[in-house]
Amino acid sequence: MFKNHIKIAWRSLKKQPFFTFLNVFGLAIGIAGCLLITLYIHDELSFDTMFADADRIHRVNVDVKFGGEDRRFAVVNAPLAEALENDFSEVELTTRFRTGGSVLLKTTGTEINVKEQQSTFVDSTFLKMFGIRLLAGDINSALKEPNTMLLTKTAAEKHYGIQEAVGKTFELNNTQTFTVTGVVEDMPKNSFLRDHTVFMAMSGFEDSRIVNWGSNNYQTFFKVIPSANVDAMQEPLKGFLGKYVIPGIQQYMPGITEEQFIASGNHLIYTSMPLTDIHLKSDRAAEISPNNNIQSIYILSFIAVFLLVLACVNFMNLSTAHSLKRAKEVGVRKTLGSNKIDLIRQFLVESGLVSFGALLLAIFLAILALPFFNDLADKDISMPYSNPLFWIILLAAGLVLGLFSGSYPAFFMSKFIPVKVLKGSNSNSLGGSKVRNGLVIFQFAISVFLIIGTLVVYQQLKYIQNKDLGFSKDQVLIVNDVYTLGDKSGPFKEEVKKLSYVENATISSFLPTPSARGDSTFAPEDGLTDQERAISMQVWRVDHDYVGTMDFELIAGRGFDRRFLNDSTSIIVNESAIATMGLSPEEVIGKRYTPDFGEEDPEMLTVIGVVKDFHFSPFRNDIEALCMRLGDLYAESMAVKLHTSEFQVAIADVENIWSQMAPGQPFDYYFMEDSFNDTYRSEQRLGSIFFIFTTLSILIACLGLFGLAAFNAEKRTKEIGVRKVLGATVGQITFRLSADFLKLVGIAILISLPIGWYAMNKWLEDFSYRIEVKWWVLVLAAIVAVVISLLTVSYQSIKAAIVNPVKSLRTE
Amino acid sequence: MLLQLQNIFKWVNSGGQRIFLLKDINLKVKEGEFISIMGPSGSGKSTFLNVIGMLDGFDEGSYDFLDESVHQLKEKHRAKLYKEYIGFVFQQYHLLDDLTVQENLEMPLLYKKLKGAERKAMVADMLDRFNIVGKKDLFPAQLSGGQQQLVGIARALISSPKLLLADEPTGNLNSKQGEEIMELFKQLNEEGVTIIQVTHSEKNAAYGKRIINLLDGRMI
Ligand SMILES: Nc1ncnc2c1ncn2[C@@H]1O[C@H](COP(=O)(O)OP(=O)(O)O)[C@@H](O)[C@H]1O
Ligand SMILES: [Mg+2]
Repeated sequence: MFKNHIKIAWRSLKKQPFFTFLNVFGLAIGIAGCLLITLYIHDELSFDTMFADADRIHRVNVDVKFGGEDRRFAVVNAPLAEALENDFSEVELTTRFRTGGSVLLKTTGTEINVKEQQSTFVDSTFLKMFGIRLLAGDINSALKEPNTMLLTKTAAEKHYGIQEAVGKTFELNNTQTFTVTGVVEDMPKNSFLRDHTVFMAMSGFEDSRIVNWGSNNYQTFFKVIPSANVDAMQEPLKGFLGKYVIPGIQQYMPGITEEQFIASGNHLIYTSMPLTDIHLKSDRAAEISPNNNIQSIYILSFIAVFLLVLACVNFMNLSTAHSLKRAKEVGVRKTLGSNKIDLIRQFLVESGLVSFGALLLAIFLAILALPFFNDLADKDISMPYSNPLFWIILLAAGLVLGLFSGSYPAFFMSKFIPVKVLKGSNSNSLGGSKVRNGLVIFQFAISVFLIIGTLVVYQQLKYIQNKDLGFSKDQVLIVNDVYTLGDKSGPFKEEVKKLSYVENATISSFLPTPSARGDSTFAPEDGLTDQERAISMQVWRVDHDYVGTMDFELIAGRGFDRRFLNDSTSIIVNESAIATMGLSPEEVIGKRYTPDFGEEDPEMLTVIGVVKDFHFSPFRNDIEALCMRLGDLYAESMAVKLHTSEFQVAIADVENIWSQMAPGQPFDYYFMEDSFNDTYRSEQRLGSIFFIFTTLSILIACLGLFGLAAFNAEKRTKEIGVRKVLGATVGQITFRLSADFLKLVGIAILISLPIGWYAMNKWLEDFSYRIEVKWWVLVLAAIVAVVISLLTVSYQSIKAAIVNPVKSLRTE
Repeated sequence: MLLQLQNIFKWVNSGGQRIFLLKDINLKVKEGEFISIMGPSGSGKSTFLNVIGMLDGFDEGSYDFLDESVHQLKEKHRAKLYKEYIGFVFQQYHLLDDLTVQENLEMPLLYKKLKGAERKAMVADMLDRFNIVGKKDLFPAQLSGGQQQLVGIARALISSPKLLLADEPTGNLNSKQGEEIMELFKQLNEEGVTIIQVTHSEKNAAYGKRIINLLDGRMI
């Protein structure tokens, strides 16, 4: 019987190539999209799980509120790790990371530096903690001694072979000498250490051994014994405030108690989070690598499910519509003694065949699309061909899909009553049209929703890109590692400024685009120990040309000026800062503040100017209080404001000056605008993904509609013929045939507009600076849906309407 | 007694009015009979035949098929009766377009869950008997109307039904083809098959041993 089912199914599919194609293709697109998204989500969820004992590793976080500023750190202070080991019997091991940023590596005795993007100091427990194997070197001594380091395979091979590298010495940043004691495999792409290539022994890092509970700079991981209850550790962890931190603060604020600290509105809360949660659930200051957001995973899962549902719905709709043509067959079979179960089985075999074909096509499509998808999602995903689980899941999914989407048409058809269908009743009387209409409405409701989503995401991105940032990001070239020039950095800047197309140049570690950040607690002159009046401000060390190069707008006072020698103790603040101070721009000029909160003999700084707020953190966040002051000997970068579109010429000229002044140092540069755009990469990615999958879902919905329209026109061939004989025009008939579908699309629009409006407002709430969902976006989404469906339907309608009636009436 | 209908009424409600399709039908059919049903178009012949064939229900009266009350049968049971006892022949032939002649014949046997070899033998017998061996691999669209109806009858007979129901089996055929079919019916009847046919033509009706006339759903 089964063989017979397959044979008949195959023939009936072959007989209707157009319907079969629509069915297979629509389903394949849905499966392929879903497959890609699933691979992406799987990759995201797999972050950091490759480390041995990953489930027993946790990181300590701290939430600090002090001086009005509320901050959440992924780093804690240096002595906390040891306290963890002492206070918790369940803690087996701790490892601290202290980021070293990018470093220049040079084999001792040579001139050529090689830049490594990410380096970090680590405790010697690092290898054991994460179960990392050494490719070369001795695991017991590696990372023990000061000034030793591990390199990854890739980093080591830039200089030596893996085995030869061990024991070699390097100069780091032209200043320190380190010996390589081991080489490790490159860090996995989906781990928090993915960009790290240099691991330096913490033992040589002086600060790590000073017991200072006040500053947070160390990513601190701990591993617990298998039976440990980490939840139960949270309370004692919070107790660290009273036990360790308050005694530390008492050095500056004698006699302060935990109660007083809390009563002044401050807090300092230690918590821990599992290593494997970091990538998707942590969004804190000083993360080791940029993380993703679990919300985007939810959004993607949502899209994946809907793609699949859309494709199934499509399949159901087309099959049910198509089944009306097979009503006679059902009737005959029933009179020949077939029962319902047989018929259901027959049709399920048919849908199984279709979904199996779709599955094959989907895998093919997914393989074709994978490189583009990787590009879009910034991933390195490959098809897990060799994983049997992948195939099992895929096959099971195909089977479930076939059964699920085949079930409705099968039950629908098996219910046909022989007398009715054999009499050739009008297929409308066979029912199912309500369900079909419902499904079309459902498909278009989702499509309209996705159109709204795409438009809003796109507009928000556009808004961000065009928003007045308060500084000028265009045509600004950033040269990195300026500190390697030492005292030649000043002359370097002056040389660059002499280039005819250079408007201005400034040297600073701090840029409005992602760069160094640091903050201090300031006290006003007339309230030096008054906690309530203390304010927390970012402090940016800049030079005299900074305000001019960045094009900040001064709303009161003046910028730094070489003619005023005591500008070394002057500060320029932003609007957010004076808002926290509660002063107007005019009032604040001349006021004095100290960053040495609570210290003896504090250094007083005078406010000389106020700049308009500028966006130096992503639009998701509010603008923080900030002050700028002069001076930084080891500034990281130089920003050059250009007045030319010939960037290549400018880069060549600046590099020329650089290599004259710093022979052997790599010339590393980027454009501020690119860095700015990078900040919104995740939104842009979301935007592109939204766009692509919206297009796919609309395509699927249109395939369905196209098929339904074709079916509808065919079903009504006789009616159309009669109407034409009676004098109806092509236009009138086209309208008649299209109007039914447009009604459905209209209902879909009415359903999805309010939902889309609500959901997108919710999404926008994440941004401190955002657009509103405008009424015309909704109208536009509606129009797009109507136009697309009209185009889809009218092709079939017109085709049916222009047929010569003599022909259509003969088909009886 | 093969079947017995007593006081059968069938109606539809239209616009609050009850329109009778069958009125007070009484009929006893013994095995081996050959009955022709006649009447003008719209008199309810097809409806009557469908009720007998259990393709359609009725609203009042009782119907026993082989001493079982049809009224209480579930669909599954009815399918069993089709399989075992009843063969249908339609005016429009209603062959399955996707299947070859051979496969069309095989279809009822599949539903009877017969073994492959057994099915093959029976299909071969039928092809032989109806002289259509040469056509066994053709699809219905490749046959003439008369040939299609021949296949239709062969398909109805292959599971050796006790009762053959034919609704205007010759309606779409020319007179020579029609005559051949009638001769075939006569022969089948002589072999013991009970036949009830609907027909317009006096000549064809005369092949039956008993003629029932219908007018407005009533036997006259
Ligand atoms: N389901 C139905 N609803 C309404 N009227 C019906 C239905 N089935 C049949 N009729 C009507 O009942 C009458 C008898 O139909 P039918 O049995 O097909 O006649 P015949 O086969 O004798 O030409 C016709 O007038 C037909 O229109
Ligand atoms: Mg009739």
